Order: sequence, then C-alpha cells, then structure tokens
Amino acid sequence: MKRRRIRFDTVGLILPALVLLLWFAVTAWGGMPEYKLPSPQKLLYVLADFATGRLGITPYSGTLWGHLFHSLRRVAGGFALAAACGLALGFLSGRIPLARRLVDPLIHLVRTIPGIGWLPVAIVWFGIGEGNTLFLIALASFFPIYLNTVHGTSQVPEVTLRAGQMLGAKGFTLFRTVVLPAAFPDVAVGLRLGLGVAWAYLVLGEVTGVTEGLGAVMTDGRMLGHVDIVLATMIVIACVGKLTDWLLLAACRAVCPQMRRGRDVP
Amino acid sequence: MSEQGLSVSEVCQTFRNENGTHTEALDNICLTIRPGEIVSLLGPSGSGKSSLLNIIAGFDAPVSGEVRLDGERITGPSAQRCVVFQTPALFEWLTARENVTFGLKRSRVPPARRREEAGEMLRLVGLDGFEDSYPHELSGGMQQRVALARAFVLHPRLLLMDEPFAALDAQLRYLMQSLLLKLWKKRGQTILFVTHDVEEAIRISHRVVIFERRPGRIREELTVPFPMERRGELLGEPGFQALREQIQRLMFTL
Repeated sequence: MKRRRIRFDTVGLILPALVLLLWFAVTAWGGMPEYKLPSPQKLLYVLADFATGRLGITPYSGTLWGHLFHSLRRVAGGFALAAACGLALGFLSGRIPLARRLVDPLIHLVRTIPGIGWLPVAIVWFGIGEGNTLFLIALASFFPIYLNTVHGTSQVPEVTLRAGQMLGAKGFTLFRTVVLPAAFPDVAVGLRLGLGVAWAYLVLGEVTGVTEGLGAVMTDGRMLGHVDIVLATMIVIACVGKLTDWLLLAACRAVCPQMRRGRDVP
Repeated sequence: MSEQGLSVSEVCQTFRNENGTHTEALDNICLTIRPGEIVSLLGPSGSGKSSLLNIIAGFDAPVSGEVRLDGERITGPSAQRCVVFQTPALFEWLTARENVTFGLKRSRVPPARRREEAGEMLRLVGLDGFEDSYPHELSGGMQQRVALARAFVLHPRLLLMDEPFAALDAQLRYLMQSLLLKLWKKRGQTILFVTHDVEEAIRISHRVVIFERRPGRIREELTVPFPMERRGELLGEPGFQALREQIQRLMFTL
C-alpha cells in the first residue's frame, strides 16, 4: 500500500508573511526607532554577517557557528539526561503501581516549582557556568518526558497486554515487544515537548556565566545595546529548534509505524 | 493414566465490588474437554463464562479449585492456550503478517518458516493480499480474521474464544463460524468457545455447556447430535429447531 507523501501546507505561511509585512511597514513608515526594532532588511544583513563574518556590522561577526555549537551541545546533553531519567522512571511508574505511588508525589511536588525559581539554587550548587545550565535544561525537560511516558505506558489496554501474554511474551519481553511499542506515540509526544522546553531553558541557563552560546550572545547583545543581534539570535534559535524537532519527529516516525498515519501532533 | 484434555475441578471465583461486597462469579465448576472437541459455554451475561475462560487462559487465578491441561496445572498465560478475544486486540504497530508471526517469534521459530506459516495461515483465513496491511487499514471482520490466524498458527493445545464474533454483523458471524469449522477440520484443534448465541453454539460445537447466573453455575450439558460435515447448513436439519428450543428453555427459565 502506498503511503501519501506529506505535503507542505502553504496556508501556514500566511500569518508569518503578514507579520513580516507589518514589521516592514512599521520600521519603514511607522517611525519605529532602530534601537527598539530594526527593520527586516537590517536584520537580514546582521544574520548574514553573524553567519559569514563578511560584513563586519556587529562585534559578533562570523561567530554564529561557534555559539550554535555550544548551545547545541548543551541542549543535547541536557535533553539526553532528561530523557534517560524521564524514560526510565516513566516506564517504571507506568508499569509498576508501587513505583508510581512512591515516585509520583515527589515529582509532582518538584514540578510546581517554576524553572526560573531553580536558578539561584542551581548557581549555588553548580556554580556559574556549564553545570547549572545543564542542570536547568535537564530539570525542565524531564517533566514532560516523564509525565507522557507514564501516561502512555499505563494506558496500554489490558486486552493488548493479555494478547501478548497468551502469545508467549512474559516479563521484559512483554515490555519490549508490547508495552513499549504501544506506549510509543505518547512517549514521542513527551520527547518532543521535552526538546522544546530544553531549548527554552537553554537561554535561561546561558544567561549567567557562560561566554559561548546563543543565550550568552543574547544577554551580551542586550547589555551592549545591540537589539539587532538579540533578535537575530532569536531567529536562529527558532529555526534550529524547529530543525531539531523535525529531526526528532522523523526519528520517531521511522521507529513507529503508528505515527506515520499523521495522527500525532503535526 | 494419561490425562489428556482440559479438566476443571471445583473452580470457584469471587470478585470484590467497589463498595466492598463480593460477587460470587463461579460456584463449583466442574468441566472436562477431550482433545479435539469443540465445546461451547453458553449463557446469559453475568453467568461467569468469561470469568471461567480467563481462569483457564491463566489471566486470573480462581479462589479455589484447579484447572489442568493434559495433566499440568495452569498457573499463568501460555502459548499453549491461545485466546481470541471479543475485540481483535491486534498490535497496531505491526502488519497483519507481523501480528501472526508474533507468537512464532516468541517460540523461536526461524524467520523463513515463520514467514511461510504466517503466509499460509493468512491465506487460509482469506486475507492473502493483505499481509502487509496494518490493522487500521482492515475492516473489523478482517481484523478478527487476523486474530484467528495469529492464535491458530501456534497450534495451541487449547484454543479459547471469548465471544469472538459477537461484535460482527449476522452475515459475517456466519462466515466466521464456517471459517472456524474449516480450520478445525484441518487441524482438529481443541476449542473452548464462549457465546450467548444459541444457534452459534449449536452450529459449531460438539457439546454445549449451559450456564446460569447468580451465582455462575453449570445448568446442563448437551451433546449436539449433528455430524460436523453437515454443520454448513443447519436450518433444514431435522431436530435443529427442537434442540434450539430445548436450549433456549434451559437458558431462560430459572
């Protein structure tokens, strides 16, 4: 049976195009001062310079890739840590009621503390620099991964589990061949949410004490009054974030046939 | 002495209700099934037939009594006692063929033979051409045929079927009954079949065990006198109407 290819939805371009138009209009004729909101064209030049270093417009000329590398490194590290803990605890809690009763209350308690509230403590514990950034990213990313994994795992229908059992699957084999694939769509949602949160907390984490990274550029840029570079960095984060999400989604779809139907979150 | 077949001895089952009281689902059930027999458990809902099936399948443990298959005590689910449920309960992430090979894989059958046997089985149930379809691409009847195939392919010592055709329309149900008989003719499977449909029970079984409820008990056991070759068209068979009425009377009077 042929699978329909995913078509690019042009309707999704309408609103961004309108925003772009409005932005251009406001900066060209609306009397918007450049220190508040540079024009789209200016931003394009700044971005190009950021990436290639050819124009020498800002102090950050050509440094995009270096900063991007460090940010990606941190996101990957924090996300991996969050995924390892979130998946492991999530599967345990989802399958073993006692584990859930033990672990859930504490997790939900900790979850209510907003990520920003952890910043001071993170600095005290891990100092200023890599440690606290990684901690914040991992902490924030953990919760959606854990919650969705628990949900997916515990929602596997009893009859599906029994089907696996009567066909000869027991214990870990039952988990690997039935529970895991059945729960996977939910697990994938959790991973995607977690990745999105990881990017969000990257900036928070990079705000203090790191000299390399996109978040650091944003903080530095703001302090020097370079709004253009701040906005340019935001655009980079948005684009790279979307790219990593797409990669994660593609990986999930490759592993799980159910998700290819397009029933999951687009 | 070889104890072949299924033997259910004095099985009792109770369930705890939400308000703390207990419901006696099964009271002192004794039943034997000989190898190669098709036996129906027939009764109104709440008579404990599915509870008994779950005990025999190994999903639940009885409060008292024991069940043995070929002399061995049943302690949990096993590929020797495959189940066809009321819903197909297929694995959504696997194709029809992969669903059928699932059990074979667990029994460590080599890949080439797995593929061959699954293909043959799917052909037998009339699904050749659909081996690589996913469950959501198949109709309810087709999914149930895959469920039949994946249970049959393992040649279990006992095949348990829990109202497997109840969710299908009358025509499809009839076709599935014929399919079951056809598969049985090929393999001589021992089958325990739970249903609340009197005609279905008569049509496919050697013996019909009639349950009553509150608490679940065996009311009566009847042998269906018609030879298996003539089960294809029973409506014209002399004695069919009489048997059906007799069973209905047993089921619907106290």
